[in-house]
Amino acid sequence: MRLFGIETEYGITRDDVAEMDPVVESMDWCAHTWPLSFERRWDYASEDPHEDARGFRVSGLQQDREEDEFAKVDAHRPFSFHEMKSDLVLPNGARFYNDHTHPEYSTPECRMIADLLAQDRAGERIVLRAAQRRNRTLGGTHVRLYKNNTDFHGHSYGCHDNYLVPRAIPFSTLVAGLVPFLVSRQLIAGAGKVGTEAQESGHVPGRYQLSQRADFMEAELGVDTMHNRPILNTRDEPHADRAKYRRLHLIIGDANMCEYATALKVGTTQLVLDLIERGAAPDVELEQPVVAVKQLSRDPDLKAVARLKNGWTLSALEIQERYYEAASQRLSGSDEESDWLLKEWGETLRLLAHDRLRLVGKLDWVTKQWLIETFMQEEHLGWDDPWLASLDLEYHNVNPEQGLYLGLEADGKAWRMTTDQMIEEAIQNGPSDTRGGLRGLCVQRFPDQIKLIQWERVKFVGGLRSRALEMGDLFDPHDVRRCASIFQQASSPADALRAWNHRKESRQ
Amino acid sequence: MRHSTIPERRERPVDPMPKSPHPLEEGGGPRRPETGSPDKDSLMKRMRKVDPKQAERYRQRTGE
Repeated sequence: MRLFGIETEYGITRDDVAEMDPVVESMDWCAHTWPLSFERRWDYASEDPHEDARGFRVSGLQQDREEDEFAKVDAHRPFSFHEMKSDLVLPNGARFYNDHTHPEYSTPECRMIADLLAQDRAGERIVLRAAQRRNRTLGGTHVRLYKNNTDFHGHSYGCHDNYLVPRAIPFSTLVAGLVPFLVSRQLIAGAGKVGTEAQESGHVPGRYQLSQRADFMEAELGVDTMHNRPILNTRDEPHADRAKYRRLHLIIGDANMCEYATALKVGTTQLVLDLIERGAAPDVELEQPVVAVKQLSRDPDLKAVARLKNGWTLSALEIQERYYEAASQRLSGSDEESDWLLKEWGETLRLLAHDRLRLVGKLDWVTKQWLIETFMQEEHLGWDDPWLASLDLEYHNVNPEQGLYLGLEADGKAWRMTTDQMIEEAIQNGPSDTRGGLRGLCVQRFPDQIKLIQWERVKFVGGLRSRALEMGDLFDPHDVRRCASIFQQASSPADALRAWNHRKESRQ
Repeated sequence: MRHSTIPERRERPVDPMPKSPHPLEEGGGPRRPETGSPDKDSLMKRMRKVDPKQAERYRQRTGE
């Protein structure tokens, strides 16, 4: 069973005001995304970030105190909680809202990498169009949006990748199999960064590194996401039937501009999860994962090694090769997508070792490094020049008239794996084979009759009886399509639910 | 690693990705990258337009 999705928090700024109010700006942005009111009915009842996958519940998060301080300030604003969150569910089943003053786009759940890429790019277009509408209101191109992970002053914001995982896999087994892979995954999925920084400690200009987020990793495991960030997040919010599933919530990843990098980031992680489920993950135990993730990131020559518990040392490339070889042995021939991923994963590792320039337009850190070093040579700049951090930032600008990556893409030098047609379709509809598409269909067909909506449930208004479409275990693509067909044809949610429940009962 | 020229593509485009089922069926697969001469000057021009102090001014609240 494969199901994955990406949450991206965007950075926002305005150049026409001395000091931007991030709460108001994020709200305005969301309001310009989908100027309708019915979708602002997100059901927060199922969200509890204090549940820990290691089997306990934490009493508080490190961010709670800071959040309380912000809440005190925000309480004086003339807005309700729901207005400030501006929580929308879009007709493609995506969630778009204001998360800690960052507009966040969460893709609908996807089963295929091609769908995920289209949905991720759809998010870029949706936030860009909101910015364009906002700029028309402001009377100039004042608002900028960045798909990155740092403000170069020690403040990071995330791009999380999520995977549905059987709960039958012990969490400790997931940890053992995943941590070395995640520590070295930046080799493929790093977005690249000029200089170094740490949580709220400012930016030190200097040499280039592979990852935006590695500097902010402070723990191997943990439930926190805003402070003391872990390599492997232990938040236990399955957004599905808790008895059967976990949601693996990874916060270590960078936001990628390159479609190819996004495909490999999520695709290889899914392959490693498949390996773990088969008990076939390679036996690699890092001595100090948190130290290693920074060491490996800060060496773009890929010579740095991480020390293992058995005393050996391995480079990021060697760790990745071990995972790749295990996956090749066990997963070749599983399905067409796995074979494609294995082929590209192996080729990427080979090119990283021997011919890295051929990865320009495929991997972000390689692409950005090449752009910046070319510019440095043309302008006779050193690594300590502050201009480089600005170039780094503008690489991630989602405005095609300004963004450096999108300029490269417009020049035909980035490897496209989507088409504009696919992206436009993804803006309109979610995947037809997942509950994400079904959620979007509910928004399209019965917008005025939705009472509450969230990942695993849509509650409809009407009557004393609760009328809800339960999707906590609705993952079989055939079942999803059958349910969608019913909702597509029904004249009301009540009729659709009656028909769907009848169909389920008749199969039992 | 220093690069003074835009790298030429010497490889064939990647094999088509597995196509997604409906609704992306019609448009599935990667777009073949253009292999003509890149417009390096336009990209360098765009980079020169970037305000050197843009990152210095850019401030965000911590997110997740």
